[in-house]
Amino acid sequence: MAYLATNNYFEDKDFVDKWLYTMRTGELDLSWMNAATEKVKPKEANPRRGLTYRDIDLGSYGYTDMPEKVRRNRSYAPRGAEIPEGVPDAQPWVSRKSELWAFNTESYYEEAVSRQWNATTDIPWDRLEGVELPENIGKSLSQLMTFLTEVEMIATDTPAMWLPRLNPDFIEVRSFIASQAMDEARHAEVFRKRALTTGWGLMQASPMNEMALKHLRDADSFSEMSVALHLVAEGNVLTLFRFSEYLSPTDVDKRIFRLVMQDEARHVGYGMQHFKYVLEHFPEKREVLHAHLDEAENISFAGAAATELTEAFIILAGGGMKQENIEEGIKITTKFNLKQMQEHFERLDKCGMPERRERSKLYKMYEMGVAAAQAAGINLN
Amino acid sequence: MGVSFPSTDYFEALKARMVEQDEKFRRLGYIDTTFGVAVGQNGKARNFILEFEVFDLKNVREVASIDLKQVDFVLEGDSPVWREMIENIKRNGQADASHDINTLAHFGERLKIRYDDPDGHDKLYRFMESIQEFFDLSSKLDVSF
Repeated sequence: MAYLATNNYFEDKDFVDKWLYTMRTGELDLSWMNAATEKVKPKEANPRRGLTYRDIDLGSYGYTDMPEKVRRNRSYAPRGAEIPEGVPDAQPWVSRKSELWAFNTESYYEEAVSRQWNATTDIPWDRLEGVELPENIGKSLSQLMTFLTEVEMIATDTPAMWLPRLNPDFIEVRSFIASQAMDEARHAEVFRKRALTTGWGLMQASPMNEMALKHLRDADSFSEMSVALHLVAEGNVLTLFRFSEYLSPTDVDKRIFRLVMQDEARHVGYGMQHFKYVLEHFPEKREVLHAHLDEAENISFAGAAATELTEAFIILAGGGMKQENIEEGIKITTKFNLKQMQEHFERLDKCGMPERRERSKLYKMYEMGVAAAQAAGINLN
Repeated sequence: MGVSFPSTDYFEALKARMVEQDEKFRRLGYIDTTFGVAVGQNGKARNFILEFEVFDLKNVREVASIDLKQVDFVLEGDSPVWREMIENIKRNGQADASHDINTLAHFGERLKIRYDDPDGHDKLYRFMESIQEFFDLSSKLDVSF
């Protein structure tokens, strides 16, 4: 049982005697005051912004000079603290910087904290009073919200389950991942609330999409998780949020999607900067990431075609279920699907993986989809 | 006092309103992005670069052309589209569901988003609510075209 203490202090006479002796005499040890740590004077670079993690990137406390492989600290000692004998081994899985670091990691966390919002009070829910959507639009909106709640629940679990596995020396990444879990929990909350306020309640869970989401949770390494979650899944979801904002039937829905897209874009930003970092600093990982992308893209392709989601999109995009609505909805949904794929490959190009287009089966599907859309007279701009 | 659009005076007026509503923009959070606004008029374009930092529009300037490598993204559209958006904001106090930036730009039919780096492009969405609220400050201006 790993949680057992290394001693039974209630029955340790020396320990109890020392506790009572200190209370009785007031005699202090004070050896901790001589901790062999660095003295620094942090200062805000910009007082309007406040004291940021970047401002305390100083000497032994900083992240700039952190080694690629953290061997010194395997405990919960904060980076830069003196680590005495006896701290337990917390057994982190990830102690290699390039396995999780991203360019500007610290600023993504600061931005996340600064841009938090509240699903209960920042959405003008009262403006939905008296709003009655046509039944097929209301049900389609609720189906979309049902799907998004599923997405966000697993998007909460996935970063959260990696937190205790990350070496505490990577406090900036751990903080960002914690903020992401909070963002995703808020997204699950806001989508659930919006589903119920449609008046139709929740609609149907999605087997195809849940299979895709499980893939995110079960990645073998942090980098693989990040590629699948931050780059592929959240990249797709970011495009989906923009598309959903575009389709939103009320200004309340518009605000919801504008707020969630901000968080999602930040997660994608971290994912891109991590992907760049790992390709530059841990080049042996390139082939592993290709292999993981092969699977992530396969699942992403299948998930995007899930009937219960695609049909809801078509109805929302076309504005109803008449033949002309459906035709228009299919055109708009096709443009959206192709845009998701196009942006995915743009991101990979910029991160330093331009060869992905040659290898990817998804890219072949994208080319096939573009040709089919053009043949159908769909303007892709 | 009225301001004309497009002009640096228009953006400076929004900047002044942003300062007046400091609490609101602090609540929305940091906005760290530099982006371009291009307004097409009679086959030519007037181009502006807006630099946001922390909670503020730090600087705005008009330029002859915009180098996509020097900005995160450019919002580009013909003058009538911008005019329709600004007049809609004035009428409603904020952009309505058909005139917010994402809706106008989503498929590039009315406004286009140009970018060199997809990470820069994504900043439009990272700071979307602040950018939308910034343009919504037009409701407090008398704008001539």
